[in-house]
Amino acid sequence: MGRHAARTGLQYLLVLFAAVSLNFLLPRLAPGDAIDYLLPPDQSGAVSPEQRQELLAQFGLDGSLAEQYGRYLQGLARGDLLVSVRFGRPVGDVLGERLGWTLLLVGSTLVASSLLGSWLGFRAGWSRGSARDAGSLTGVMAVDSLPPFFVGMLLLVVFSVQLRWFPTFGALPPGSAEGVDLVVEVLRRLALPFVTLTLASVGPMYLVARSAMVTELEEDYVLMAEAKGLGPAAVRRHARRNALMPVSTVAMVGLGTLVGGATVVETVFSYPGLGRLVYDSVLARDFPLLQGAFLLLITGVIVANFLNDLLYPLLDPRTRHPLTDPA
Amino acid sequence: MKRRIGVAVCMALLAGVVALAPGIRASSQESTTLRIAIKGYENNLTPFTITFGALPATNDLVHLVNDSLFWSQVRSEPEPWLAESAEPSEDGRVWTVRLRDGVVWHDGTPFTAEDVKFSFDYYEAQASSAGRYAHHVSDIPDYASSEVVDPLTVRLTFNEPSPQFKSMPGADLPILAKHVWEGVEDPKSTSDRMPVGTGPFKVTEMVADQRYVLEANDDYFKGRPLVDRLELAVIPEPAAAFAALRTGDVDMVERIVPPELLDQFRADPAITVAEGTRIESNQLYFNARKAPLDDPRLRKAMSLGIDVGALVDTVLLGNGRPGRDTFLHPDSPWAVSGGEHDFDPERANTSLDEAGYDQRDGDGVRLAPDGSRLDFSVLVSSFEPLDIRAVQLMAEQLAPIGVKLTAEPLEPTALRSRRQAPEGGGPPPYDLYISGLEAHAHVDPDALYYFFHSPGSRGFGGAITGYANPDYDALVERAVTADTAERKALDAQAQTILAEEVPAQVLWYPDGLYAYRPGAYDRWLSDLGQGIFTKRSFLTDYAPQPGRGPGGEQAAAASDDGGGGAGGTVLVVVLALVVVGALAAVVARRRRTASDEA
Repeated sequence: MGRHAARTGLQYLLVLFAAVSLNFLLPRLAPGDAIDYLLPPDQSGAVSPEQRQELLAQFGLDGSLAEQYGRYLQGLARGDLLVSVRFGRPVGDVLGERLGWTLLLVGSTLVASSLLGSWLGFRAGWSRGSARDAGSLTGVMAVDSLPPFFVGMLLLVVFSVQLRWFPTFGALPPGSAEGVDLVVEVLRRLALPFVTLTLASVGPMYLVARSAMVTELEEDYVLMAEAKGLGPAAVRRHARRNALMPVSTVAMVGLGTLVGGATVVETVFSYPGLGRLVYDSVLARDFPLLQGAFLLLITGVIVANFLNDLLYPLLDPRTRHPLTDPA
Repeated sequence: MKRRIGVAVCMALLAGVVALAPGIRASSQESTTLRIAIKGYENNLTPFTITFGALPATNDLVHLVNDSLFWSQVRSEPEPWLAESAEPSEDGRVWTVRLRDGVVWHDGTPFTAEDVKFSFDYYEAQASSAGRYAHHVSDIPDYASSEVVDPLTVRLTFNEPSPQFKSMPGADLPILAKHVWEGVEDPKSTSDRMPVGTGPFKVTEMVADQRYVLEANDDYFKGRPLVDRLELAVIPEPAAAFAALRTGDVDMVERIVPPELLDQFRADPAITVAEGTRIESNQLYFNARKAPLDDPRLRKAMSLGIDVGALVDTVLLGNGRPGRDTFLHPDSPWAVSGGEHDFDPERANTSLDEAGYDQRDGDGVRLAPDGSRLDFSVLVSSFEPLDIRAVQLMAEQLAPIGVKLTAEPLEPTALRSRRQAPEGGGPPPYDLYISGLEAHAHVDPDALYYFFHSPGSRGFGGAITGYANPDYDALVERAVTADTAERKALDAQAQTILAEEVPAQVLWYPDGLYAYRPGAYDRWLSDLGQGIFTKRSFLTDYAPQPGRGPGGEQAAAASDDGGGGAGGTVLVVVLALVVVGALAAVVARRRRTASDEA
């Protein structure tokens, strides 16, 4: 067991190192650099090479790729994420401001789309081939195929502009609200982005849940359960528990995708999440910020995976049996 | 049963949230708070920390907090602002600036001549960090030194006669507080701090990518602003910004109203559309260093084949002025009269034949004398749908004269990097590109120098098109030190050369049409070159009386199309019905199957 834990830990470290290195390299493959962004369009070619170097040095972006990589790793070891080119402030501060909003939006969406997707998916899988299954499959696929930008704009026009139920933009209310008012206002501003993102992300969850349920229903234990006279509710409970495993895996792995997928929704509703921040930082070639943001995301996904590993034995007692432990 | 309770709780929560909505909305009227949607976050609004990003810069925010020595009037003498007067020496190299008495910085420190001297020194020392401002000190005019004569008088010396000092840099450069900036070695790293300016508004809150809150400066030397508080909301998506205007979540949108929304807004009694041109332009630049586009005869022929009037009608739906062949905006004081675009495809064809482009391939595309096809790609920003549309139209217009154009959309930073010459030398790897220009460039007396002087130590020539013509160079060099009358004559000659050799073809000058809610604030000023969101819109001496603002076109325009808004509403209602109907069908079906099961 100890050896197993050590090996898992080492694997996570290796993944983290590979990810950290890719973080460094990938943004730098795009043409142009931060200086092109910092200067007005017509002057970006007009700064002298010396001035360009001077500016790059201010953000630790001068020197060869290897030198930059060395500095980046040293900085990471010290916990120093450098200074964002676009904001001129430490990357950690900028990320900190967004993290809460992203956790709120992406976290609530993750929970909602997992619950909704698995509920619909299990029901559809249970009665596979029925009219209900066909109906829900068509419905979910139709919603899934709508571009999130379109769905967001539609919701904005209907619920904010026409019905005036929700504000049109932002995460924070204007002026100073406090206490319960603040909570209500923040929730009102969360509502439409949350619904849009949930609609956009429920599809894959539904498909996984549905197929997991279908697979489980073909297992011998279901036949056994039916044979010994268990009612449909009890059989369904058995099958559902086993079908939960792939669903929880997909939900956890989907965390990173969801943060990126939130970009469009954050743009439509002017929501200050990490997705939009990463998108803007790519345009700005804000390498320090991108490195920090990806590090945060990857850490998030790794932690989610780790939690999922811990969750497995709770969902499925077989995985905690010593015989199935590879060590 | 448990599930029922859960559903009931959720519904109750939702109902509660919705029910609270009207109560909270009511508070927007009671104080003079104005909410304005802005395009992007610009850090803490100092000249060193603003970023320019994908879109043309807006320096309105910087000038809300800061002041310059003069305020640009575009077509007449700059108005004294922080300065009371400025007198040149005989040779125009030395300017003695007398400053306004009694001005204080936002932190209470008095403003003095020391601040002005410090600002010029600092901009020059920090040339690489000062973004678009630096070149007005380090390039043209070329600042040498300054001395403080007395606390309210400063003498600025330039390395050459600088007759246009009052407008550039005088009416452009934000003056810095010496006690704030002294000793700051890396000004780009100061964006955590609240900015200290002398301007009409003080920043009291900044939330990155979300909003600014600005409050009126009680001690402003032009009188307290007419609005107590400005809340600037960052709304990156244009459609969302205009949706917020329709609901009243914001009172004004600091963006040009897209042509397709104009009719709807003009028909809405709660919204006024006002004209406030910012003197902007959109142009097609030719790579003048790359064959065959280095041939001015080819560029001129292509220009003759482009129907800019049709571009304005089709792409801008008529909301702009057609581009001129003389580059400068018709409202610029330096624009020569009679630079209207020459559209003559027949002449284009004959001149191409004469210039040796007389062979065509099987597709009807002409061949250059060296055998290469006249098949060009136009780099356009993928964020500018109007530009992409313009290239498609120009491609149709140029096909009959045997020139093929294709749009190549790129994200802005990639586009800028393509415009740079490769390290090993040689021309940058592009054919043509489209880029916009704002007022700041068009009213700069030396715009013609900056943009089209041959690449060298001064100006942006190498970064724009690489165009080089010694005759042109001589004209714009002389213009730098010439007095106003002589400069006009020189600039006129230079523009004639541009019209003939076409390093760039202006496609259009967009109308600055802005939308606001007059119920919230109705004293917007159309400030030439600044749009309507300008600090003078909030100052008692300048802001027009309510109802007499720039929105005079409202009543006339409202009648010409009432259908746009109604059409939109109908569409929304239909869509909503479809969605609701689909949901109802699904629910009904669920119900039925559920009851079957039970």
